[in-house]
Amino acid sequence: METKKKHLKKYAILFPRLLALIATFLAAIITATSHEKARIFTISFEAKYSDSPALKYFVIANVIASIYGLLLLFLPLDNSFWRFIVVPDVVVIMLLSTSISAALAIAHVGKKGNYHAGWLPICGQFHKYCDQVTAGLAAGFVGIVVYLLLVLYSFYSLFHHSLHI
Amino acid sequence: MAVEIGDKAEAECKSNQEIAVTRKPIGYVIPVLRLLTFAATLSATLVMALNKQTKTFVVATVGTTPIKATFTAKFSHTPAFVFFVIANGMASFHSILMLVIELFGHKYDLKGLRFVIIPVLDIFTVALISGAANAAAFMGELGRNGNSHARWNKICDRFKKYCDHGSAAMLVSFIAVLILIIITAISILKLHKRNSTSYSTLH
Repeated sequence: METKKKHLKKYAILFPRLLALIATFLAAIITATSHEKARIFTISFEAKYSDSPALKYFVIANVIASIYGLLLLFLPLDNSFWRFIVVPDVVVIMLLSTSISAALAIAHVGKKGNYHAGWLPICGQFHKYCDQVTAGLAAGFVGIVVYLLLVLYSFYSLFHHSLHI
Repeated sequence: MAVEIGDKAEAECKSNQEIAVTRKPIGYVIPVLRLLTFAATLSATLVMALNKQTKTFVVATVGTTPIKATFTAKFSHTPAFVFFVIANGMASFHSILMLVIELFGHKYDLKGLRFVIIPVLDIFTVALISGAANAAAFMGELGRNGNSHARWNKICDRFKKYCDHGSAAMLVSFIAVLILIIITAISILKLHKRNSTSYSTLH
């Protein structure tokens, strides 16, 4: 009965990890495949995610987070490593949070422009590209919120595990 | 023999209590690190908030008289820098609060919850500051190099002082992130050690 309850708790942890894995994977894929060509006054422009280093960093960070999530799924449930999962979790959270704030800053300039610097918004011409990048950023947000809740839970269980030895 | 064992256990219990009472000295590593973080985040906030440069350019020439226009570069033009200032301000407030609690607040404790809340708040501040420093760094990189694909021109060749001050503030903020990570790691280790030693004598 005791081991069954422990297993139930560990399955309850695995489901948010699966959700976070799916979210980060989707974020990387959606942003990496955003691509649009547009013609403005007979000059054809092309918008790709690799034009902006912030979006490149966002894709790379989400790829690293999804590889980490995938590797974690293969860890057996009885392993005592699950207690120290807080440390790589915090590292992945820092990667994800920095990448999403950088991508949001650059996407904000792309959507609204910056009047004072003379930077025109590009979303008016590239609708599909903008929408796809927005969707990728939203998926990244879901990923980092779930990871934050997971790390809080790991921290709580670390604290209580050392209390009730 | 049971009485002897009982007496020995009582003496051991008393000596453990004595050890618990006399374990008062405050380690100086964490307060010094928190002071450094406070100094770093406060200076990053102030340098970025007072970052302003006004310059007049010759925009066009009509005949022989040049038309001048004045442009200002401020931190509030860019939402990323505004977030940077606010986040560093909150982090400096957090640092000074934690410093005061550690130095003067040993009597106040809420059912042992204090030793959990401090590392959790530290983790929040680390995530906040790292996000803010990173967003500001990418915006600064955009201002320094421009983006030829989106036709966004660089501004650093004209507003050199603004760019230099901004990069100095970002550098200091990244140093603050590093120190905050060290503080968080030490707090979590102390928490783990405190829990495993204080409750192992209950068995």
